[in-house]
Amino acid sequence: MPSEPAPSTNESTFLLSALRENIRLDGRALDAYRPISLTFGSEYGTADVRLGKTRVLAKIACEVTTPYPDRKFDGIFTINTELSPLGSPAFEVGRQDTTELLLSRVLEKTIRRSGALDTESLCIVAGQKCFHLKATLHVLDHDGNLVDASCLALVAALLHFRRQDIEVKGEDVTIFDVREREPIRLTIQHRPFCVSFSYYHNGEVMVQDATLLEEQCRQGEVVVSMNRFGEVAQIAKYGGAPVDGLSVLSCTTAALERVKGFDRMVTEALKADEARRDEGGLMAELSAENERPTGSMLVGSEN
Amino acid sequence: MASSTILLPGETVPHSQLPESKKGTLTLGPNLRHLPQAPPASISILPTSSGLLQSDAKKIALWLDTPHARYAPSVGDLVVAQVHHSSTETYHVMLTPQTPYALLGQLAFEGANKKTRPKLEAGDSVYARVKAAGRGEDVEIECVSPNSGKADGMGPLKGGTVFNVSPAFARRLMMGPGKGGFVVLEELGEKLKFEVAVGRNGRVWVESGSVRATVAVGRLLVGCDEGGWGVEEQRREVRRAVREV
Repeated sequence: MPSEPAPSTNESTFLLSALRENIRLDGRALDAYRPISLTFGSEYGTADVRLGKTRVLAKIACEVTTPYPDRKFDGIFTINTELSPLGSPAFEVGRQDTTELLLSRVLEKTIRRSGALDTESLCIVAGQKCFHLKATLHVLDHDGNLVDASCLALVAALLHFRRQDIEVKGEDVTIFDVREREPIRLTIQHRPFCVSFSYYHNGEVMVQDATLLEEQCRQGEVVVSMNRFGEVAQIAKYGGAPVDGLSVLSCTTAALERVKGFDRMVTEALKADEARRDEGGLMAELSAENERPTGSMLVGSEN
Repeated sequence: MASSTILLPGETVPHSQLPESKKGTLTLGPNLRHLPQAPPASISILPTSSGLLQSDAKKIALWLDTPHARYAPSVGDLVVAQVHHSSTETYHVMLTPQTPYALLGQLAFEGANKKTRPKLEAGDSVYARVKAAGRGEDVEIECVSPNSGKADGMGPLKGGTVFNVSPAFARRLMMGPGKGGFVVLEELGEKLKFEVAVGRNGRVWVESGSVRATVAVGRLLVGCDEGGWGVEEQRREVRRAVREV
């Protein structure tokens, strides 16, 4: 069974002694991130996030299915993480290791359970038809901090995604092709982002955006998910060593600053992408024809 | 140094690229293979991998540079290896991740006998020379020079840290001052005191007593590898790094 090879004793002891002096091997400050880039694909709902050497691609797909019988008014939203050997030879196809398990669990808690996506807006006919939104995360390169990169990619992709327009007349549902009617944005209620902190020396040293080597040497991690208004979606602490309660508080303060930066970055990237798509200002014309208040998907516009 | 001839497996090395020599035999380096049974008129040197063709007229050598390929051990290479586990007579060491372990004899150290051999733990690093590497056999390494029986700088690496660079960069770095196009180590050596062991497997061990200086040396090497700095840029970056230390 392949696994990430353990760092040599030289590397791990040096890293720990360097962190004692507040020095990181790549010259960053303890609370600094590696350079981040966010790009969108030509299709709606693809976001590519690079965080240093880490690279994650998020892709959203949508199809029509029947809703769960106990949730008649909700659409279905699933998050799927793909850690293939493409990202690191330590990942195996078809085997779920702890990295993948923790990643999907954190994303689940951050985005799905915090109600970031309004699943009710995915309902077409109650109890009969709804949209099934599938988000897939492909880890293309793994150099640590998959959680933050994946969450950023997923939120960006959700914001970028447009689903096909529908029209309901009684029991009849018409789904319009993207060429017939301008596709519609998803109803996103808030944008939560993950910020993970790795801790060393019994919580005395906290580091943001750990590389793979730093992740291998850490005692544990604290993952804070919140939106830019400081509303915490979840806090998770993994790893054995105890963490001081006050340092968790300082984590949330630091996370808020970081999340605000993420939010701004996503907004700007979306704006730039929209400007790129809006050749000759045609987009405004298209959207004006279809404009409707969000959240009123159940009511056909022409009824 | 730079060559613009890209060769793919199955192509042949063009005549014009062969180093001109009146005497001496042509030495073939990595990723090239000679086919002795080919008719004499045709060129019988074939690339076994894709890469850039390099030649050295002085040494009458020809080899194929594959900058991003995984390191393949060949006899005589100096490598920085990491001990994975030990058995009765050998250490099983890792040259590159996700590849079969190489073997390092427990007595393959300078002046080592059953009583004085160095005790290595899992995770320790050694600087060693590839002793045997062939198709279908285990890669063997040793920490003692076969001719003199001396360590020649090889042996366990204590302290410091290891940085990862590309194998091609490591090879060029080992060519010596100026030859591979890198002057980082020489420039740094004038200003800082440090020890360095460059492994052909793309791992560079650096130790300098102070954390700050070690990180500075390592970052310059990694930056030089990833940024492809020219000589002037290397000097400038070295000056900046030394100021910060």
